[in-house]
Amino acid sequence: MTVPFHTPIAPPRRTAAPDIASVWRASELSDERLPTLDTGYADLNRELPGGGWPQGALIEILQPQAGQHEWGLLAPVLAALQMAKSCTAATQNAKTLLVLTGAPYLPFGPALRARQLAMHRVLSVRTNAGNAPALLWATREALQCADVAAVLAWLPDARSAHLRRLQIAAHTHNKLLFVFRPLRAQHESSPAPLRLLLEGQASVRSENGEGADVQVQVLKRRGPPLASPLHLATRPARLSALLLASRERVRQRRQDDAAAVPVVPAAMAYPIPSHEATHALDRTTSLHH
Amino acid sequence: MRWIALQACTTEPGAPLPDQALVQSQLASLALAFTPRVALLDEAVVMDVTASLRLFGGLQRLLRLLTQRLTDFFASNHTLAVVNKACGATSLVALGKLRLATLSRAGELPMHTLSAARPHLDVLERTGCRTWNDLLQLPRDGMARRFGASLLAALDRARGAVPDTYSWLVLPEQFEEKLELGALLTHGPSLMVGVERLLPSLQAWLVGRQRGLCELQLTWHMDPRRDTPPTGSVVVRTDQPAQDLRHITALVAEHLAQQTLAAPVHSLTLQSLVSEPLVNATAATPSLLIEDRQTGGSALALVERLSARLGSDCVQVWRPCADHRPEQMQSWVPAQSALAFMAGPTLDKRAKQPIRMVCDALYPSWLLPEPLALRSISNSPVYQGRLKRVAGPQRLESCGWLMNSEGLAQPLAQRARPPAIRDYFIYRSEQAGLLWVYSERLAADEATATAHRPQQRAWFLHGFFA
Repeated sequence: MTVPFHTPIAPPRRTAAPDIASVWRASELSDERLPTLDTGYADLNRELPGGGWPQGALIEILQPQAGQHEWGLLAPVLAALQMAKSCTAATQNAKTLLVLTGAPYLPFGPALRARQLAMHRVLSVRTNAGNAPALLWATREALQCADVAAVLAWLPDARSAHLRRLQIAAHTHNKLLFVFRPLRAQHESSPAPLRLLLEGQASVRSENGEGADVQVQVLKRRGPPLASPLHLATRPARLSALLLASRERVRQRRQDDAAAVPVVPAAMAYPIPSHEATHALDRTTSLHH
Repeated sequence: MRWIALQACTTEPGAPLPDQALVQSQLASLALAFTPRVALLDEAVVMDVTASLRLFGGLQRLLRLLTQRLTDFFASNHTLAVVNKACGATSLVALGKLRLATLSRAGELPMHTLSAARPHLDVLERTGCRTWNDLLQLPRDGMARRFGASLLAALDRARGAVPDTYSWLVLPEQFEEKLELGALLTHGPSLMVGVERLLPSLQAWLVGRQRGLCELQLTWHMDPRRDTPPTGSVVVRTDQPAQDLRHITALVAEHLAQQTLAAPVHSLTLQSLVSEPLVNATAATPSLLIEDRQTGGSALALVERLSARLGSDCVQVWRPCADHRPEQMQSWVPAQSALAFMAGPTLDKRAKQPIRMVCDALYPSWLLPEPLALRSISNSPVYQGRLKRVAGPQRLESCGWLMNSEGLAQPLAQRARPPAIRDYFIYRSEQAGLLWVYSERLAADEATATAHRPQQRAWFLHGFFA
């Protein structure tokens, strides 16, 4: 018996997948009932499985350079976490500790307090350069601590096996864990269920008109790959108002040079906060009022 | 009167514990948490709990608590032992019931359960005295002549006719115990073997004294034939007094891991240096609610463990300072010295007035530990390529009296860092986002600087807006 070569293979019949709640189709976002935390950005919430940062899982964030845009992305969730835990817990300060391991620079308290972080509950662990095992150990110890709410770890030299241990520790102790790694880790395998690529963006305006300064690309999630990166505006309102004001001033000066007609742009209508302006740079925003 | 007799034995009947005397003294220490009237009697520990019943809510509750605490103690120290208990109206009745190990009335206890009767068991058996009641039937003076006064005294004591007192066990003010290691140890971490044998006794001492340990000293005695100092020691302290020694054990292990021994070690001494009384530790029972159970160590334990291994300078907490210069507005101090601050800023009663913490969104969220000098091209700074000025300047001036202690006594012109004027700008970099950059002019030689190089300014990178 000979089998003709050109027998067309019948396409598999599309059977409707059974509509069972526990079946996850690869084309949909996983709606596994993981405890998640609101990211503070509606655009990002929409693209993450469960609608927020997964708790009890390793979240890997890749960056071209360490020390850029982390606080903007994470400050909303960290502040909310510290706030919620200190309200619900019986004792005021239980379970609100935030541990940073291997932070690239010194976190600057005044700016972070402006982002509603409780700075007296932040613990920073720094080691001598190149002591990667100590950082990994410190991260794991922090995950095991009952009082810790979230751990932020900068681990440029971590390997996949190390991350797996951290993932297990985060899962066991149900902690929020962010690991920041350089861009070259993009092509290594990773045990993280969620991997993001975080990049700065030189003032691109997104659709809703806000000046987006951060571009987030979802490299890996429980769901279909994300086609186009997200643009988020993560800067504090006063800072972005200042930037907008200075940009408008430059534009206005150009117009003045061209037409010598003063134009008051509509974007200047940013309400200046009524509290005492402690910063000289604020004057730039108020100059035009 | 209520007495409890305790004895630890192995789970297999008949086999003696390897270190019976040690376990007996640990049992006695643990019993001291319930009553001050504890004595060692033959192979057992007897305790008079008459006065403690009300505090602990009755005999049944006390027994349950005692059982739980003993079980926890042996389980945490990896000792395979069960504790037999018996209650009685007097110490000898309790002991007799403990030895019989089956329920019996005091009068019907067999003769061998009374220690004083043991030398005369054969004679008593032949005269038909099998139980304590039989002995009581005999005439007292004849019994005293035949068996000696000690049996009669023991019988009176068992009946409660004479006071049931002993020389009560008293724990020393400070714990100190020496252990001969079986072998010469040369490796620092291997000393943990000895420490783990010493720590149960320390824990029993703490429970008995109702205190929590704050500071201990471990001394190792080295081979005297070497030309080295005869002993070495390490002091381990913790901020929160504790009876549960798991955290202390971990700290000791961290300290020992960093030790290099100058010579082989043959014995160890463990001393408690500082301990504090624990309030209401005796009657407290652990909570059964799931929320109250901790799944890990506390923040304090975390700080101490990290500091022990990495060094206290590596584990830091934030401290605000009242200053207008950015690098002086905050300081990252070693967390071990600032544990009170972590508990909350309101708890710091020593501070006369709270520091007004600066809080401003227009500061960068990362600060460089040391300002980074930037190259400049045509009087504008360069960092990973050309920068574009976005906002500024904001001028900060540091006056002479605000300067650091470095050479305040020296005249203005000779100081290492004369008062400076800084103009802060926000620059935008294509790669690195928003930068916080300042240009510095030295006030002291401003005139000379402007005279010689009127256009040149020194540029420094001081922070990132992240």
